[in-house]
Amino acid sequence: MYIKIGMKDRLRINVSGIRGEVPGALNVEVVAKFTSAFVSTLKKGMVAVCRDSRKTSPMLEMAVLSSVIAGGADCACFRLLPTPFLQFLMGREKFSGGIAITGGHNPFSWNAVILLDTEGDYLDISEGAEVFNIYEAGDFTKASWNELGQTQMMTFPMDFYLEELSRIVDADRIRQRGYKVVADPCNGATSSYLKDFGDFFNCVVVPINDNPGKPFPHPPEPSIENASQVEAVVRSTGADLGFLLNSDGSRISFVNEKGLALSEEMTLPLSLLSLKGRIIKAVTSTVTTSWADWAARRAGIALSRTKVGQSSVVHVMESERADAGGEGSGSLCFLAFSLGYDSLLTLALILDYMSREEKSLSGLTNPFPERHMRKIKIEVPPERTYRVMDRLEETYSRENPDFTDGIRVERKGAWFNIRPSATEFALRITIEGEKEADVESIEDELKGRMRI
Amino acid sequence: MRVSDLKISISGIRGIVGESLTPQLLIKFAEAFSTYIGGGKIAVGSDTRPSAAMVKNAVFAGLLSCGASPLDLGILPIPSLQIYTKEKNLDGAISITASHNPVEWNALKLIRKGGHYLYPYEAEELLDVYYQGRFQRVAKPEMIEIERDPFSIHKEKIRRLIDTELIGQKKIRVVVDPCGGAASPFVQDFLEGLGAEVFCVNCTLTKGFPRNPEPVPENLSTLCEAVKEHKADAGFAQDADADRLAAVDEKGVPVGEEYTLALAVDYYLQKKEKSPVVVNLSTSKIMEDVARKAGVELFRSRVGEINVARMMEEKSAKIGGEGNGGIMVADVHTCRDSFAGMAFLLEYLALSGKKLSELRKELPDYFMIKHKVRASFREARLILNKIGQKFQQGDIQVLDGLRVDYPDFWLHVRPSNTEPVVRIQVEADSEELAQKVFKKIMEEI
Repeated sequence: MYIKIGMKDRLRINVSGIRGEVPGALNVEVVAKFTSAFVSTLKKGMVAVCRDSRKTSPMLEMAVLSSVIAGGADCACFRLLPTPFLQFLMGREKFSGGIAITGGHNPFSWNAVILLDTEGDYLDISEGAEVFNIYEAGDFTKASWNELGQTQMMTFPMDFYLEELSRIVDADRIRQRGYKVVADPCNGATSSYLKDFGDFFNCVVVPINDNPGKPFPHPPEPSIENASQVEAVVRSTGADLGFLLNSDGSRISFVNEKGLALSEEMTLPLSLLSLKGRIIKAVTSTVTTSWADWAARRAGIALSRTKVGQSSVVHVMESERADAGGEGSGSLCFLAFSLGYDSLLTLALILDYMSREEKSLSGLTNPFPERHMRKIKIEVPPERTYRVMDRLEETYSRENPDFTDGIRVERKGAWFNIRPSATEFALRITIEGEKEADVESIEDELKGRMRI
Repeated sequence: MRVSDLKISISGIRGIVGESLTPQLLIKFAEAFSTYIGGGKIAVGSDTRPSAAMVKNAVFAGLLSCGASPLDLGILPIPSLQIYTKEKNLDGAISITASHNPVEWNALKLIRKGGHYLYPYEAEELLDVYYQGRFQRVAKPEMIEIERDPFSIHKEKIRRLIDTELIGQKKIRVVVDPCGGAASPFVQDFLEGLGAEVFCVNCTLTKGFPRNPEPVPENLSTLCEAVKEHKADAGFAQDADADRLAAVDEKGVPVGEEYTLALAVDYYLQKKEKSPVVVNLSTSKIMEDVARKAGVELFRSRVGEINVARMMEEKSAKIGGEGNGGIMVADVHTCRDSFAGMAFLLEYLALSGKKLSELRKELPDYFMIKHKVRASFREARLILNKIGQKFQQGDIQVLDGLRVDYPDFWLHVRPSNTEPVVRIQVEADSEELAQKVFKKIMEEI
């Protein structure tokens, strides 16, 4: 069904960084050049660096470290660390910039270099453009031998992180419940921090796939398809809930106490409900489920929508002074805590919600109205994207589409969105409706129009 | 004429940090090396230059990228790295050192299986791989391993050859000057282990090298003073990567690198083993006297450690070296090794009971002039032709540049393979003659 094209030698370049398959488009030379370009845009000082558990991450880290100190900046090297942890720290300590080496939800053979500004925020388009201008010109800042940076090996202050977390949630109430949770960090960067989290919140954590030295047991995307192991373990251990993370701990999805996986789209609405009465404004992307609107209304939160991606969502949060934001991919950012999508923060909010309402996870999701969503990925090379999108725009122009990100068409009881992916060479189609049949008919219609 | 400070040649890659020597280039070079030798276990050692960390991370990135298993040996003298590579049967090694160049420089030196520099034709092929930039990158890089005590192999190999008790009994006192370089963390302990009483000067690198790292007499004033102050029997100066050695006598007078080599070889032939000797074409004619005295054959190779090493193996020579202070002892390893040189000189002092200045006086006096002139590679060829015509009566060799031998002097004119310069060397029985020949050469340039 899919249009198959050799994508191995292509680098995906956008504001969030550079991304690609290793070996292939992404390699140590490109990473060194990119890092040198980034460091050239920074004020002298210390650059914070972390990585996920991919086999290629320590190698790319070497290229990053060399280039950071060659540019005359010092380097705080955290080695294996979830990206949100780095962002958490960057919001509290002084760094001139940050670099996260992580493919996030991409397959094991991929990797990426993500750039963060001094606060731990993703770069915006103009900041990203400046890095690429320097990259293209090859005009890097080079420190002389006596001005080279120094590398410092760092340990993440997990106690401090948990303490800060306990200011957002009622830790004592969570502790009293003594929850049992099944955790699947996908052998990712969060693996080694789960025990501390459990100890702090008096949770029994049953970990699976928590060896960062091993490859990913399944695609590192929190979703129903990848949840079967967690479902089984929740059932056999009688746990209160289970969860799945991506490789850098920025996304999370849940499994309820019956051992049924929830869609990753439920993560944000649940979090908004948990934050009821505490926040008044939130931001999400144009392709996030309408459950988010439903939950925002129930929680008395004004929800606005913007382009897809952490960079746009968080930047809109900042400019609109929204307290929280997140996406249907299973991500949530709470501005007062950090500028990153943080899965353990999200987990704490859900536990807080459960303990406050004294309900099970299924009890909390019962009131959710019926919704059906389908996410379809079609591989399309970037040079063909333009024509395909142009044709669709023409086709749907009568239906008054929204162009926040790609094309979004609202119909009675359903909507769909088609947009080019920012992280892969693909078009992403999202369809959601109140009835399964509505979703199916839209899918058929789109496939017909796109001739796939 | 604009000349790049980046030197990519068969000797490796060398440049100035902050200008030409960037992480990107270093990564590419390490990738080319790993691709060329087919990955495997590759050791990495460095000297003490502050840029070592930057260079090393880039080298590791490049090695991992192309499937090698890097072994981090930390700061390590280059002969120790070569010996480690040989003894541990590794697939190769990279030394991060610009040896005698100033502190703002750094470089990669590439070592093959067996602990030798890449053969010249191999180095040429490697450059081809480098410039093509198509490397064998892998999807699953290996991990970096760390070795804590890589120097001990080198130390033990030398100790076994030396009568340390005798050196101890004779209470030999030495001052060593490692120039804050790669030998610094090891050399005091090493010499004490041989039985000597040791004083160290310039033992750390603070803001750059404490002296010019080249161990030529004009750079050794601190050492000479310290020898007198401590009433030591000898002083030893090493360069930043510890392959070259220059001795200072008990009066604080530099013996000179040529004589340092000659003393070590002379001693080896007298007391250790009679074996053919191999030195390069630029090495002093003292070596002829030393070999003749011992009744062994002397062979001369092209300039460059690898050329001497290969000829030593070819001729079954146990001892040899290069006149710039590079002593090579096959029982340790056919590489330039300042540690082996120091050990033999210590034993020589202990066994002979003589002063170093006396031992030096036993060798004949020659006068050597070393000079270099800027010339493009094309100009260099023309210069060689002209000089060749002017010295037609002599015994001409064109193995490496132009060498002409007369009964009472010789000259060697050789274009550098890394820089647009021609190196000129004249050695004669008297200073007057040396000057005269040198003047005659310079007239042609």
